[in-house]
Amino acid sequence: MANNRMEANTPPPSVSPSIQTVTKTTKQKKRTSQWIWYIFLIPSFLGIILFMAYPIVESLRLSFFKSNGTIETFTGLDNFRTVLTSGPFWNAVWNTFFIGIFQVIITIPLGFIFATLINSASKGKNFFKVIYFLPNVTSIVAAAMIFQFVLHPEMGIVNFVLDSLGLPTPAWFSDPSTSKWGVILLAVWHWIGFVIIICIANLQAISKEMYEAAKIDGASSFQQWLFITIPNMGGTFAFLLITGWIGALQRFNEVYVLGGPNGSPARSIQTMGAFIYERGFTGFEFGIASAATYIMFLIILVFTFINLKISKLKL
Amino acid sequence: MKRGIFKKRVSFLLMAMVIISIVLAGCSSSSSKKTGEWAGQKITVMMIGDFAMDDKTDPITGESAKGVKVLKEEFEKQHPGATVDFVLMPWEGYTEKTQAMLTSGEADVYQMPGVADFAPQGVLEPLQPWIDKDSEFSLDIFIENQVDGWKALGPDSNELEIWGLPFLGDARFITYDKELFDQWGVEYLSDYPTMEEIAEKAKQMTGKNPVTGEQNYGIWFRGDWSSAFTLVDLAEGQNGRWGTGFAWDEVKFEFNSPEMLNGLNWLLDMQNYAPEGLVSNQGNEKWLTKDNNIAIMLNQGPGDTVKPAYAQGLGDRIGIAQEFKNADGQGGLFAGSPIAIAKDSKNKELAWEWLKFATSDFTQKYVYEELGLVPAVKSALEWDSVKEQPLMLPVFEAMKTPMTPRYPWGSSQPRFILTSEIEAALTGQRSAEDALEKAQKESTEWVENR
Repeated sequence: MANNRMEANTPPPSVSPSIQTVTKTTKQKKRTSQWIWYIFLIPSFLGIILFMAYPIVESLRLSFFKSNGTIETFTGLDNFRTVLTSGPFWNAVWNTFFIGIFQVIITIPLGFIFATLINSASKGKNFFKVIYFLPNVTSIVAAAMIFQFVLHPEMGIVNFVLDSLGLPTPAWFSDPSTSKWGVILLAVWHWIGFVIIICIANLQAISKEMYEAAKIDGASSFQQWLFITIPNMGGTFAFLLITGWIGALQRFNEVYVLGGPNGSPARSIQTMGAFIYERGFTGFEFGIASAATYIMFLIILVFTFINLKISKLKL
Repeated sequence: MKRGIFKKRVSFLLMAMVIISIVLAGCSSSSSKKTGEWAGQKITVMMIGDFAMDDKTDPITGESAKGVKVLKEEFEKQHPGATVDFVLMPWEGYTEKTQAMLTSGEADVYQMPGVADFAPQGVLEPLQPWIDKDSEFSLDIFIENQVDGWKALGPDSNELEIWGLPFLGDARFITYDKELFDQWGVEYLSDYPTMEEIAEKAKQMTGKNPVTGEQNYGIWFRGDWSSAFTLVDLAEGQNGRWGTGFAWDEVKFEFNSPEMLNGLNWLLDMQNYAPEGLVSNQGNEKWLTKDNNIAIMLNQGPGDTVKPAYAQGLGDRIGIAQEFKNADGQGGLFAGSPIAIAKDSKNKELAWEWLKFATSDFTQKYVYEELGLVPAVKSALEWDSVKEQPLMLPVFEAMKTPMTPRYPWGSSQPRFILTSEIEAALTGQRSAEDALEKAQKESTEWVENR
């Protein structure tokens, strides 16, 4: 307090003109160098405006028009009404959620278990990491094509194994009741490597002292896993849940390869993304497709918000 | 001091970029020529499919195929001073790419299978006036039905008009494996088989092959992507039809007609003589191999049949029969690719010249001999290269008799509605009757709400 008063009463120190000039020049230089960096940002900024901001705004505008790309008529909220009352759209929403939910609830726990096993292995950690991560770096389009053969009803290796074990052999992508499970299998296979790597990264960050203290207190390996490992994985699980869920709701590539734009057979694997593609790019109904895109955006927004609340993840 | 150096560097970089741009622009092949009858005129031609600018190796035959530079050289030789550039694209997503190119005025001439969708938008040049004023040109050069098949409604017309000239031919037909027929002791298909004939022979050839002991299937058809066209052809074979009209406000569907229902029930019956996987485009993996196990294939096209058959050495083993036809001898999907001129083309005279060039024997021979595509001109029947491949003869026959004009719903929502309902019936989700009622209701609602 005394110091403050003293400072207040003290006259400002006199600054020589030469020092003032130096300070000014430094400030000017700083300002100029900051300004220069903005120039370097222009290309990416232009890219964002052209390829992200503009399409987003244009898509919103289109959602109020009946448009085939050339001829447009203002229709107000008609496109939204058409989409929201369309049976195939809600079927696509159901398919997207069904595949997405099972992908997430199977892959995250399974990936975590594999990550724990790999992390506790004394040898060959890197080998297993590479093996499990390989599917994730494979193009999903190529993987989907391979899965068509893997799950071939007559010549596929999966049905061959099931048949050898005396189990029933499903028709997979030829039957609407099993086709979604075919996509889930593909999605789990493709994503699990990523989940494992992220989980291993977190597992390695958990302090060893905690496990040593637990051992001294007589905790078993399972108790250590249950009471130390799992609680410390919360942030990772939340991250995987949110990113996996958003990716699942945007699912398009693999279902397009497996079932075409209308999600054959009988629209059983048509997702929201495929519905948008079918209406927009095979039928030239850009207004309907844009309205469906915004509805999909709202659905993703709401569920991401719910996920954030459930997982209590702070972004 | 440092600031000065920085400024100098920036100036140097800018100068270098300008010089490089000028040099690249100067070296570009698209610069206009200044002499000759067509001096300074330039057109851009968009082509879809396996076209390449330079020579390439055919993945099926392993033979070298000449690039479209051959066409460029010949066209520019025939039209001194003119320049032609190409935009070549694959079939994937061609409709949206065409739409984008038309909107931005990217090309003068388009290969355009979706001409019926684009003509009403007012983005194409009507071709009848060009045909009328060009005494050198005649529509008689084309195989029957090809010109009519591509007729479409313009933005203001109530009558079908010519917006595109046939460039590539295509057809749908029934193929069969003569070797399996021989092994089973079954007579080959007649040239114009009926549903009853196909069903009877498919039943006879399903089971253990009496010669090889392998499991054989009597029939295969795509139960997904193209099943709507297969079903409509079945209805046409019974003198039924998909419906009536061409402009959307006049279209009336008849998806739930007795002929369509009978056709779908027939497909359900035929499914018993087919391998598993019809609705996921599976089960036909051995077709066109020496180990083939399928006797009859419905709704096949020349691209997947003729060239691969000869490349595999199976040209003599494969037979082609026509699809189901109505009492007038018509039936099946009209397909192929016409070429059209953009309304906003700045060099329409030259674009018309390209259309004539593309339908001339030179170009038509090129697309057949180099790329294995189907020509659209009558004269092809006389070419030695065609005579060497007898499978082409029934293909040309099939090109004469499809249902014209092209189904207006062929790439719109009703097609996907009908396809999904056929799939639902084939997979036991719904009865054939319920599936077709649903398809009829949803398609009608879609048209009414457009």
